[in-house]
Amino acid sequence: MFGYLIKRLIQMVIVLWAVSVLVFIMMSFTGDPTYMMVPLDATDEQIAQARRILGLDDTHLVQYWRFLGNVVQGDFGRSFVFRQPAMTLILERLPATLEIVFLAMIIALVVAIPLGVYAGANPHKASSKAVMAGSLVGISLPGFWLGMVLIFVVAVKLQWLPSSGRGPTQELLGMRVSFLTWEGFRHLILPAITLSIGTLAILMRIIRAEMVEVMKQDYIRFARAKGATSRGILFKHGLKNALIPLITVFGLMLGDLIAFATLTETIFAWPGIGKLLVDSIYRGDRPVIVVYLMFVALMFVVVNFIVDVLYAFIDPRIKIK
Amino acid sequence: MTKTIETGPKAALTRRSAMVLALAAGAATSAAFPAAAQAQAKNLTVALTADAVILDPHAANELSANIMFYHFYDGLVTRSPELGFQPGLAESWQIIDDMTWVFRLRKGVKFHNGDELKASDVVYTVERLKKSLMASFVANVAAARAIDDYTVEFKTPKPYAALHMALAEVLIVNEKYTKATGDEQMGLKPMGTGPYRLAQWVKEDRLEMAAFADHWRGKAKIDKVIFKPITNPATRTAALLTGGVDVIQDLSVRDVAVVQANAAFKVVTRPSLLNLVLAIDVRDKSPTIDLPQNPMKDRRVREAIVRAINVDAIRTAVMNTFSTPSDQYVPSSHLGFVPGLDFRKTYPFDLGKANALMKEAGFEKGFTMTLDTTNNRYVNDAAIAQGLAGMLARINITLNLNLMPRANFFGYIRVPSDKSSFIMSGWDTPSGDAGNMYSVLMYSRGKKAGYGQANRGAFSNEAFDSWIDKADATADIKKRNEYLQEATRIAVQEIPMIPIHYEQDIYAAKKNVTVVPRMDKFIWAYEMDVQ
Repeated sequence: MFGYLIKRLIQMVIVLWAVSVLVFIMMSFTGDPTYMMVPLDATDEQIAQARRILGLDDTHLVQYWRFLGNVVQGDFGRSFVFRQPAMTLILERLPATLEIVFLAMIIALVVAIPLGVYAGANPHKASSKAVMAGSLVGISLPGFWLGMVLIFVVAVKLQWLPSSGRGPTQELLGMRVSFLTWEGFRHLILPAITLSIGTLAILMRIIRAEMVEVMKQDYIRFARAKGATSRGILFKHGLKNALIPLITVFGLMLGDLIAFATLTETIFAWPGIGKLLVDSIYRGDRPVIVVYLMFVALMFVVVNFIVDVLYAFIDPRIKIK
Repeated sequence: MTKTIETGPKAALTRRSAMVLALAAGAATSAAFPAAAQAQAKNLTVALTADAVILDPHAANELSANIMFYHFYDGLVTRSPELGFQPGLAESWQIIDDMTWVFRLRKGVKFHNGDELKASDVVYTVERLKKSLMASFVANVAAARAIDDYTVEFKTPKPYAALHMALAEVLIVNEKYTKATGDEQMGLKPMGTGPYRLAQWVKEDRLEMAAFADHWRGKAKIDKVIFKPITNPATRTAALLTGGVDVIQDLSVRDVAVVQANAAFKVVTRPSLLNLVLAIDVRDKSPTIDLPQNPMKDRRVREAIVRAINVDAIRTAVMNTFSTPSDQYVPSSHLGFVPGLDFRKTYPFDLGKANALMKEAGFEKGFTMTLDTTNNRYVNDAAIAQGLAGMLARINITLNLNLMPRANFFGYIRVPSDKSSFIMSGWDTPSGDAGNMYSVLMYSRGKKAGYGQANRGAFSNEAFDSWIDKADATADIKKRNEYLQEATRIAVQEIPMIPIHYEQDIYAAKKNVTVVPRMDKFIWAYEMDVQ
């Protein structure tokens, strides 16, 4: 287990390093960020001064080297635009994103598991086929379209829920969260639903496919023969065995939603990290883009690690080496 | 030679009240605020297209941040919605000699922390700006010196009659506070003399400000203002319609009809300051034109291009009528504007004449070149470019479009512009002075430092340069205006650039909110009210 951890850590460092190199190379093609900061009528001296202030007066290689040196000391650089530490910018927006992502994941699981199990256990029923057809719609629906429709119908026409923004927030463990009050929670609902639909549909299809597979296995037949209840067969023998691929996908999707909830955040004016990434690309704010992508890479590595550990818990046949 | 320029407060007042375009009507009292509560404290929520990036007025120059700056800080000179220049923190100023100005500060002006404004704060502000990213704000100040606590002397590097106008962009910070706070924290904790102070800033969510009771103009009518960034245009409209916000910036053109049809809301529009212009390359050889000689060196070809562009068609077909065709390079409020001169009347859309001019110049068969422009910076920029390509095809000019995101664009077109023949970009001059634009965009390149640094077409005209030189050698604002008008006449005659249109700013608001649209787009709650 310990050796495995060390191996994973080394892997992680390599991945992070590779991401930083890639982003630096990519950003060197996207034009000089200085021109985005200075006024259009700036003279050469003013531009040179701006470059000096932003630390852009060196070659890319020197800049990268300085960046690496600072990262090792825990300093991830400063945004050109905000003039604040890039890591702070990400961390202060992270709770908002986590909030809608976790709610979206809960919605996805609560809906997808029963429906998927039902459709998998009864693959030939018309209702199962309807569920599957519905999941296809869910996968194909563009999130931004769904978001706009929800705003139009639920917020503007019916006036049931607020159309955008985060609503009141409370402090919880040093983070600002909005799910603690009803008014705050109301703001969460529409973005979370929008974000959950795609994931929900995919999870449902995977559960169904796995369930169809599992239900053909001998041990299900034995369970039936020994007289287990059909509920017990479905959830204890069936679902538990169907979970393994689900966990892999779930982990990846969680990472994906956190990293790229951009569209949903933009549509609902939700103050999360996805919008920060888009704005930073638009503004050529390299330090934020680099740190953001490294952060995302780190998150995926960690999620995958947790998934591997979970495997061992769910399926005793799998051992972590 | 001593002159005193003083603008009486009376004159300023009448002008301002005439400028309040929006009507006030008590028709729709928002259900969220009971009438009694409204009488006690007035609140206003405004949705902007983006959040401010930083609250240090010397660290950025972009719209959302500028809107915040002018709530927290003041300049020596204040800009009215129509770009008139009025006394601000300075109650009067004097021109001592060609290069020396003296500004007398208003006494008893309080910063949010209770400190009184002193001349030393002004001097410190100039010094801090010189070392900042926004050094260009004080390019026309060589040095500032405090004569006494309430008098500041400015030296200009050359005679500059419009110094007071340029100083409207210089926002005064408190020396002691700024030094103690440090550059990084200044971006988060603004503290000035402005009508509002920061109450709370949750990034990307809300920026709350509260009226500053001791503000020198008098306390603002609206007690609490909240700015919310809502990037998506449809979401912004929805937020207004559902009562989440009171005013929205940049109402989407396709939502105008919906909002207008609703009796509880109103739409307010006004032409902005941003002039969309086409820069024409006049060098001997042009980078994207595969001919030994650059055809556009010939004035007749430039005129043909102007006459082939149907600005009214762009307005109706591309801009849904939300643009104002530009008559000159700067709006009528500016120094250097020539009354009665209109680019559209001088060169009306006339394909027959355009083709005849092309034939006369020997380019009947036309040529091919590339237009460089953005696809995410100006309203409908890509669609306008496509429209231009269609129009110029009718005088046999094949226009290839090179559209790019703004992150690449401004570096790409930068002087020496050795990849560009034809560039579409926007230009605004909030200083109210055509001289700023002309000296940067049209003055011969490389002749004098600080001149022609964005002259992308390499236009060079002796007479034009000499009028600019004259304008920049006088401290008399009337003369400066006359000289710049001469320069305008030459530019309209020689066509170094083609002005297309001013974008239209569109706001939507609840009926009970008085909205004052400003030429510089800087929404300012101090001028607004809620009934």
